Amino acid sequence: MGSSDLLTTFCRQAEAMGAQTLCVAEGEKAADRIIASMRPLGSRVALVASPLVEEIGLEEALAGAEFEVEKEGRDFARHADIGIVEFDLGIAETGTLVHDATDLKKRLASMLPLHCVALLRSGKVVPDMAEALSFYLKSGQWPGYLAMVTGPSRTADIERSLTIGVHGPEGLLIVLLG
Amino acid sequence: MASRDFQQRLQKALQNPSLRGALERFADSYVVSREQVFAGRDFQALRERIAAIKADAAGRYEELAREFARQVTERGGKVFFASSAAAARDYILKVAQEHRVTEIVKSKSFATEEIHLNEHLEGHGIRCFETDLAEWILQLMPGERPSHMVMPAIHLPKEEVARVFSNYLGEPVEPDIKNMVRIARRELRERFLRAGLGISGANIAVAETGTVIICTNEGNGRLATTVPPVHIAVFGYEKLVPRMMDVVPILEALPRSGTAQPITSYVTMITGPVPVERDGREGPKEFHVVLLDNGRLKMAADPVFKEALQCIRCAACTNVCPVFQLVSGQVYGFIYSGGIGSILTAFFNSLADAADPQSLCIGCRRCAEVCPAHVNIPDLVLRLRERVVKEQGLPLSYRAALRGVVAHPGRMYTLVKAASRLQGPLSRGQPFIRRLPFFDNFTRGRSLPALAREPLRDRARRLAPPPERPRLRAAFYSGCVIDFMYPEIGEAIFALLREAGAEIVFPAGQGCCGAPASYAGDPDTTLHLARLNIASLEGAGADVVVTACPTCAVALKYDYPRLLGRDEVWSRRAQSLAAKVKDFTELVGELGPLPRLQGEAEAAVKVTYHDSCHYKRHLHLDQVAREVLREQAGVELVEMAESERCCGFGGSYTLKYPEISRALLERKLRRIQETGAKVVATDCPGCLIQLRGGLDQKGSPIRVMHTAEVLYRAGFKAERVE
Repeated sequence: MGSSDLLTTFCRQAEAMGAQTLCVAEGEKAADRIIASMRPLGSRVALVASPLVEEIGLEEALAGAEFEVEKEGRDFARHADIGIVEFDLGIAETGTLVHDATDLKKRLASMLPLHCVALLRSGKVVPDMAEALSFYLKSGQWPGYLAMVTGPSRTADIERSLTIGVHGPEGLLIVLLG
Repeated sequence: MASRDFQQRLQKALQNPSLRGALERFADSYVVSREQVFAGRDFQALRERIAAIKADAAGRYEELAREFARQVTERGGKVFFASSAAAARDYILKVAQEHRVTEIVKSKSFATEEIHLNEHLEGHGIRCFETDLAEWILQLMPGERPSHMVMPAIHLPKEEVARVFSNYLGEPVEPDIKNMVRIARRELRERFLRAGLGISGANIAVAETGTVIICTNEGNGRLATTVPPVHIAVFGYEKLVPRMMDVVPILEALPRSGTAQPITSYVTMITGPVPVERDGREGPKEFHVVLLDNGRLKMAADPVFKEALQCIRCAACTNVCPVFQLVSGQVYGFIYSGGIGSILTAFFNSLADAADPQSLCIGCRRCAEVCPAHVNIPDLVLRLRERVVKEQGLPLSYRAALRGVVAHPGRMYTLVKAASRLQGPLSRGQPFIRRLPFFDNFTRGRSLPALAREPLRDRARRLAPPPERPRLRAAFYSGCVIDFMYPEIGEAIFALLREAGAEIVFPAGQGCCGAPASYAGDPDTTLHLARLNIASLEGAGADVVVTACPTCAVALKYDYPRLLGRDEVWSRRAQSLAAKVKDFTELVGELGPLPRLQGEAEAAVKVTYHDSCHYKRHLHLDQVAREVLREQAGVELVEMAESERCCGFGGSYTLKYPEISRALLERKLRRIQETGAKVVATDCPGCLIQLRGGLDQKGSPIRVMHTAEVLYRAGFKAERVE
């Protein structure tokens, strides 16, 4: 599979699992597009710093758009409407996001708020689970907390009726960049 | 006989329509969605891989446990090897007390249920909160039992859940599922944030890296292992796999088999302690693993039952189990339910505790088809039954019937002949006994077959002489049902094979194949009958041994060589017999279309085919039978829905669990009636007893015939099949 096929499959599968995807082409104003999608979700944002966040100037853009941004501190992400986290990889076969979430803030921001905005470089989509695990096996010490996320949190425990948003987010927006 | 408690639970479950409705609806949709989610994948190859990985691991748990512990310890975590449930409970309590924990959040873990952890901790003033939605609902309903391994509250209607939530909150809650899930989120979020300790299970544990893997959809696994400052993962040795890449096939199969999902929302891999927030500051979490033995190492050393440790707890086996759909997990009585559950219970609890649960297996083998770890559950259940019988003995009535009569073909013959003369007042000359005095439960919904006036072994002497130059010499092994109840099937077979140019004889001295004894857990009687039948059939000097009963065929082909495997001489004789055994319909398929004597068949009759369990899933001849029927002039084959679902016969099962048997039969009869067929063909005399009995009580004109009878009537005699 070529990289654009991988990306297409990834998006199709992620949507099938209940996520939303937003592809931002190179040269586009990524931060503006993300902010436009975030508007209806709330104003308090738990933001985890990362190279990609830096690159697209998301923090400044959020502040400029009058979002209330927290980056650390006691009770981080507990009262936020939206958590923003960069992920390491995408798995095309199942539309899954993968990240080394040893950093506590990554776990909190991607789990506690009702909405999660996941940032992913579009070149980082691999075909399947085996490739994703090989990536971490090759990169030295195995991560302390490796998290795979596919779609929003869900349950079918009452009458097998699919309901989203149990303990984790009810909305997962995957932003694929460049 | 089943214990009183067990019988009470069983009756209660069978009389609960909402439980049954929910399980059946799920099971029906599961079959379809499972097929979709595995589409395009090589399921056989996948399960071979998983079986190989898990079997290898089971062969060296202690080595893997040491490696796993070394990895966890190097990262700063602690591993406790718990030999028993009590040792595990004490350790967890000690950790909780050291940290002055008063509240615990739990993410679903079978192992903690197995060791009754909640009760133990609550007894010491520590409150445990289940955080999986269904588990939490059940926790709010004291005395309520989980009905399913993966969906424990599947039996509760939303109105019931609303009532539970209203009680809990002290305010009215509407039965709106979305809103109730929000309530659970809000209430449990508080618990997550306050708890001093999180307890999880594990779906897989990787020795190479010391990693604990947890799959959840709700995200409770992630929160329970992220928010509280202490985490204890509790799981058994059977979760261990050697290498990280071993998790790939397991993660491919587990969610697909469990809930027909390609993957769960969250797959969490935890390796050692990670940062956590404690008193407003970030610091390292305290991480413990309790690796539970509690019978597993003994199981791993058991040459027969080691196989059950391959199980990945997906519950696919119970999802397709026709008995489970009627009784639910609430009946089994222990945390692990279904056939696999009874095997695990035998080792994690005791053999005595497994006695009742194992007896529910009707042996239809549907579970063996879908198990992603390639565990032969029905065969293991039979081996378990043998051990139960060895320990507890056979019930007296079984003992008398099996060892006193069935084991002796001469005695059986005399007794059956006498009974056939005495049955007059019951059968009134009809082929059925429609009501039994004192035992009306057995004849409710199903007439019993009357015994034939003259068994096949007597009739065989009079049947037509062999052709001059036979194409082959066949010996007929009839089995009890054809011999004593339906000799006309044997007559049809004799006539058809002779017409096809084969010589066919009925070897004297043959007796019951032993299957009733095998299914009752009495292999000694089967062994005795195996020797007797081998000697009898060898004497015929035949090229093929023809059977028309799949249960008998399985005994001759597979059980005899296994039972006689240790005896060099008998083992050879058993194998040489097994190689000659051929099912009648299979033989017809090979000989080519049978010649027809006279005239053209009239307009084709609609025939539907019922797959008998052993015929399809043991002998794998289901398609052969359909081809033979399709080639037969005068027959129009129409498929019925769920043709492969068990009819509920199962031999003595009809006597032991008549209500279950009847419920399975009712469903089968509905499917038959939906087809509009005038005839049901099947290749198993046992299914014939069940289906004919059921249709007779309904007063239905639909006829049930052995495939041999269909061929005989439609082709050879050029009669209408009806």
